[in-house]
Amino acid sequence: MNCEQIAELIPDYLQGSLSNDQRGLVEGHLPVCEQCREEVALWQKLALLPEEQPGPALRARFKAMLDAYQEGRWEHRQLAHERRNLFSGFLSGGWLRVPATGLAWAILLLLVGFIAGRAVNTPSSSDQQMAKLQSDLTDMRRLVTLSLLQQQSASERLQAIAQATAWSMTEQHADPKVLAALLHTLRADKSVDVRLAAVDALARYHNQPEVRKGVIDALETQQSPLVQVALIDLMVEWKDKSAVQRLKKFEQDPTVNREVRERAQWGIQQLT
Amino acid sequence: MSQVRSGVGEMLGVLFDRYQMPLFNFFYKLTANRTTSEDLVQEVFYRILKYRQSYRPGTPFRAWMYKIARNARVDHFRKRRPEVSWEPEIEPAVIPGDSAQQNQETQMLYRALLQMPEEKKEVLILSRFQGLKYEEIAQLLGCEVNTVKTKVHRALQELRELFHRPETRPGTGTKLEGMIGS
Repeated sequence: MNCEQIAELIPDYLQGSLSNDQRGLVEGHLPVCEQCREEVALWQKLALLPEEQPGPALRARFKAMLDAYQEGRWEHRQLAHERRNLFSGFLSGGWLRVPATGLAWAILLLLVGFIAGRAVNTPSSSDQQMAKLQSDLTDMRRLVTLSLLQQQSASERLQAIAQATAWSMTEQHADPKVLAALLHTLRADKSVDVRLAAVDALARYHNQPEVRKGVIDALETQQSPLVQVALIDLMVEWKDKSAVQRLKKFEQDPTVNREVRERAQWGIQQLT
Repeated sequence: MSQVRSGVGEMLGVLFDRYQMPLFNFFYKLTANRTTSEDLVQEVFYRILKYRQSYRPGTPFRAWMYKIARNARVDHFRKRRPEVSWEPEIEPAVIPGDSAQQNQETQMLYRALLQMPEEKKEVLILSRFQGLKYEEIAQLLGCEVNTVKTKVHRALQELRELFHRPETRPGTGTKLEGMIGS
């Protein structure tokens, strides 16, 4: 392979996503090519640039924005924010420098402000507002949970599950998207701790058929004895008789850890 | 009703704790200006609160957030470019415990990074410092993954050239004004 072909592999090499063979090709090329070697070295040196801390004022300003939102002053503030943006946009755009256009815009702005002010001050029905805020809250919860479940660090994924559990206590209905994400975590997360937390979080959804099925199916794909035991305990806790057949099969599987098989046997006794 | 609002606030707080540092560093490495960077982080959280319903669950959150961040930055400089001029803070913090040679190298690298054209600098910052995968960057920039890889490679080539230019060396009084934030 020539330098150009190797160079195409370098971005993937830097993110560690090459196959062993391809990585070997790049590493064989680096000692003989100064340009490619330096590029890789610079990428590594970039890690030396320090992370900067924002000043304390940033948190204070964020908190002020949240306070405004929580006290219901958000709509007014939002409007002010937009007016300010609009206005500074006009200033830099030179709109007001032409007198006739300036006057026209001033009148229009006044009208917009007047109409918007009326709209904000007219109380819509309290029920409607409440319903909108409730749906806002559900969306926001989903956004936070799903974003944290995608994090690299196991502790952040654990935090996501803890939050999903806490929020689910106040919800009447489970969010299907969050449940699907939790089931996916149970099946595919690489950390045992996170998978165990997912089992706990799913425990209260025994009335959801897809959760019951997901939990029983997970038993066969789990490699960790700890998670397997937690799943068996959960089936017993749910008194889920449909799990007996699977547990029997599991109990007779010689490749399964001995203690887990004993647990499965105990589970079968409890359920029959 | 206030309970519901405090729920939304609590969740935005979680996002703030998690992302204020990466976002600040994203803007700071692009603009080399602390005040501008803090303003922009604040603007991003304002927009997350305002546009939270436009987030589609199941899509990568970070790509959505950085899209907001990029737009906020573009809007910021579109508005302020003619009026405001500022001096970039070009010296990175000295890392205690590092040798003088290492510190000098870090400064040269920082200068080289600041001199890069916006587009190349951004792709390097996103992939190297913000830890975005090429797929996420492709989604963010609206291009193919292979295009992102080519951009990363070209950016590194340019960084290497700038790193070796004599004016990148410390103490040569480089004029960086005007090269940044345009």
